[in-house]
Formats: sequence, structure tokens, C-alpha cells
Amino acid sequence: MSGGGLRSFVARRLLLGVAQTVAVVLLVFTLTEALPGDAAVALAGDQPDPARIAAIREAMHLDRPVHERLADWALGLPQGDFGTSLASGRPVSQYIADGFGPTLLLAALTVALLVPIGFGLGVLAARHEGGLVDRLVSALTLAVYAVPEFALGVLLVTVFALKLGWLPPTAVGYGTDLLAHPAALVLPVLVLLSRPVCSLFRLVRAGMVDALASPYVAHARRYGVPGARVRYTHALPNALAPAAQQLARTIDWLLCGVIVVEALYVIPGLGTVLLNAVAERDVPVVQGLAVVFGVLTVVLNLGADVVARRLAPRAGVAA
Amino acid sequence: MTDSRRRTGRFALGVAIISVPLVLALLGPVFVGEPGARTVSFTLGDGHWLGTDFVGRDVWQQVLHGGRPVVLTALGAGVLAYLVALPVGLIAALTHRRWLEELLMRPLDVLIAIPSLLLILLVASVFTPGAVGLALLVALVNVPDAARLVRAAATEAAARPVVEALRLQGETWWRTAVGYVGRTILRTLGADAGTRLTGVLYLVATAAFLGVGVAPDAADWAVMVDRNRTGLFVQPWAVVVPALLIVALTTGTNLLFDAALERPGGRRVRKERRKEQRS
Repeated sequence: MSGGGLRSFVARRLLLGVAQTVAVVLLVFTLTEALPGDAAVALAGDQPDPARIAAIREAMHLDRPVHERLADWALGLPQGDFGTSLASGRPVSQYIADGFGPTLLLAALTVALLVPIGFGLGVLAARHEGGLVDRLVSALTLAVYAVPEFALGVLLVTVFALKLGWLPPTAVGYGTDLLAHPAALVLPVLVLLSRPVCSLFRLVRAGMVDALASPYVAHARRYGVPGARVRYTHALPNALAPAAQQLARTIDWLLCGVIVVEALYVIPGLGTVLLNAVAERDVPVVQGLAVVFGVLTVVLNLGADVVARRLAPRAGVAA
Repeated sequence: MTDSRRRTGRFALGVAIISVPLVLALLGPVFVGEPGARTVSFTLGDGHWLGTDFVGRDVWQQVLHGGRPVVLTALGAGVLAYLVALPVGLIAALTHRRWLEELLMRPLDVLIAIPSLLLILLVASVFTPGAVGLALLVALVNVPDAARLVRAAATEAAARPVVEALRLQGETWWRTAVGYVGRTILRTLGADAGTRLTGVLYLVATAAFLGVGVAPDAADWAVMVDRNRTGLFVQPWAVVVPALLIVALTTGTNLLFDAALERPGGRRVRKERRKEQRS
């Protein structure tokens, strides 16, 4: 396929990405409009004293018409102005800045380990297809694939922190400087890795098994190309395209996982900030975080689709 | 060992793993008996087989009660998702009006971009959904992907000569759509239902763990794991037993469907599914 095909695909995919971003912003904004009755009264919840209701109305500019509020809020977003918290009166951007470090560290560590482990295991299993290693790893990934992070997480804590005493059960008391306490990071990263590794492994393995059985690999072997070179320069690139797309779908899982893992191991990241805001019905903070998470997902999915398209133009990524 | 024997073995393993949580979830509430008086929280022994929980209730009784909400909410959400996805996907695939197809499918392309747990938490921050609300939410986040799959499978089936022949014979739209196309895509749908049920179970349990759609002291395996965590070092059974049951439930579902969907030849239906998703 010519470069023009890719370019028009990227243009269409960008357009979809813009539409998705607009939709995320609109959906998040609509949330306050969906509140039954007077939004300020509904949000005051258990403490419905007039002063607090007036403060909420003031903070969220509820006395102004809907379209003005939407315009103000949406135009503030690109400049990093996400509004102010109802609970503390601090700007929402400060909440995001505080929680960003730990979450980024968790996500970066997970992705950095996910790619080599997923690909390594996939290639290894495909190389010994039907052998003991393949059957063992395949069965294990099939079993772990479906397990919710919180259930796996508490079981790991029970074994490694309670029974064996090797690792700390939570990150309580370590603050945001988690790198100084690597032992506290072992279990969270392990739990975060559990589901994505399984799905990536299965895709790479399936792709490699297909590729290794293909005529061009047989041909390369007949020419006497060394086995390792056949595997890594001929077969692996063809197993990459579906895996690249899966890596993007993994973002959704990683995000769910980060929220659960931060709650489970008491890590002060964005997930914890989000859960606290949900519990306190601090709508501006929830909205700000939802926009950050939503736009991040849209951008990463877009990137992964373009990479997948570049690797395998014929596969036809939907756009 | 032959392929078919290995498949039967895995099938048996899946049934064995899933039977414990499933029997507990469905029959537990029948055999639970009268709740005893509340005692001290997080104790072991003392007439309580698995000890007591964070408010002093008997853990074994809570376990017997706690499976039903997880299983029923997940099943409800799965069925609801298909109730919406099937007509939307079928109509989008079979209609000759381009605008109708766009109208049905484009909003789903946009919705699919929003992470599922984020959407659930967003709604939970404004409303306080109950079990029915949670099932609706989980169904909603599953609709876009399910509808896309139905449309892809149905488009492929609708392009076959049989459909042209049915049209030439003057068969009704209903007979073509449901009688032929609907039946043709059943196998693909079966494969999808397996993975989807696993995903729905995951979401329902995770949302309950985060406190969405459940009362703070509900008898629910996921809520038990969350609320009894504070006493993990004193009374681990109140956390470990429900956590193990959730692991068995999700793993068993996945193993069972994987074994059931593998054809005797060894090629998976899931492979077909992936091919159809790409188109």
C-alpha cells in the first residue's frame, strides 16, 4: 500500500480521535446537568446548610446559563484550568499534579516489564509449541487472565506479607517517593502486570505459531537462514500488528488496574484522588480527572492504531 | 495424549473449579439459616467456623449470602448488553440506508474510547446506583464492542448468496435477518459470550470492591474482601475465602468457555472472531 493510503488513514483516525475527545469532554460536563433537582443541594448531600449550598453554587458557577459554563470550563481545560475542588477549595490541577508522580511510576514500570515479558514468553511458547513449557504457560495465563486485580492482590498480600513476611503489605507511610522503597512496589506492579501479560502472551504466541508455519519461513529455512534470525527478523514482525493493537486495549485495563491497585496498596496516585473525590461527591475533581484519563486513553489508542496500521496495512484497522 | 482427551480434561477442570463458587452462590442463601447475634469483630473460633467479620457477623454465613449478588448482577448485565447489541448490530449490518448504519454505529465508536471503570465511577459520583443500576452500567460499557462484533459477523453472513436468494424469493426481512443471518452468527456469538461474561464478572466484582452499586456492609464477596482488609493480619479468613471464591468463579468461567469453544480439530473459534473483528 502506498504512503498516501497511510496518510489518509491517519487523517481519518485523527478526526475520530478529535470526535472522541469532544465526546469525552461533553459527557463529563453533562454529568452535573444530570443531577436531579438543584445540583448544589444534591451535592451538599449530608450537610445541607445554606452556607455550603451557596459555596457550591459559587464554586461551580451554577447561577450562570449552561452554555456559558460549558464554554468556560472547556476553554479552561487546554490551559490547565480544571476548576476548584468543592471539598477543599484548592484548584483541581493541584490534585492532578500531586497524584501524577506515583501513577506515572506505576504505569511506566508496568509497561517497561510488560513488553519484554509478554513477547519473551510468547516467542518461547511458540518455539516449543505443544511442549511442556508451552502447555504450562498457556494454562497459567488462561487461568490468571480473568482474575480481578483486587482478589489476586489480597491473596498475594496474604502470602508474601502475612505468611512469609518478605514484602510490606501496603505503601502506607512512604508518601509519594516510592522509588526510595522498591520493596513496596513489587506487589502493586506484579498485580498490575497480571492481566495484560496474559493477553499479550496469547496474542504473540498465536501470531508466532501462524508465522512460523507460513511458507516464507519454510522458504527462509530452506535457504539455511539461522533459526534465531528467522524467528526475530522474519516471523516476529508479523506477530507484532495484532499485539500492538492489544497493547492499546491494555491501556483500558491498566487504568482500571491502577485505580484498584492504588486503593488496595494505599498508593497516593491519581486513582486514589479519583476514588476519594467520588466518595466525597467532589464533582469538579472527578470531572478534571475523568478528562485527563479519557483524553489520555483516546491519544494512546490513536497512536496504537496508527502503529498497528503501519505494521500490517492489510489487517485494516477500523476507523 | 490426544487433543480431544486433553480438551475433555480441561473441560472437567473448568467444571471442577467453577462448581464450588457457583453452588455456593446459587444454593448458599437457601441453606444459610438464621443469622446469629453479632459478637466481637475479627475473632477466630468461638463457634464461628471461619471467624467473624468487621462488624462481628459470622463469616461463613456472609460467604453463603455473598455469591448470589455477584453472579446475578453479572448475568443480568451480560444479557442486557446483548439485548441492545443484537438489534443494533443486525440492523446496521442489514440495512441499505447508509445514514442509518452511521447513526447506529458512530456513537458507539465514540463511546468505546472511554475506559469502562472510569465511566462507572463517573456515574457513581453523581448518582448512587443500586444492584440494578450497576448491571445497567456494566451492560452499557459492553454494548459498543458487542454491537461491533454482531455487525461484523452479520455483514459477512449477509453477503452470502443465500441471502440474495432469500430476497429474490420475497422472504420477509424478519425471516432473513433472524431466521438466516441470526442463526449463522450464533457460533461467533457463543465465543464472544464466553469472553464477555468473564469481562462482565470482572467489572461487577471490581465495581463492588470499590463500593459502587452495593451497600457498605452488604453480604457480597467483593465487598467482604474490601471491608475485612483492615483485619487481614488478625483474621485472614474473612478476606481469603471470598477472594479465593472470586478467583475460582472468574478462572473457572474462562477455562470452561475456552475448552467448550475449541473445536476437535484444535482451531479455536476465537480465531474466527478476531478475523471478523478486523473486517
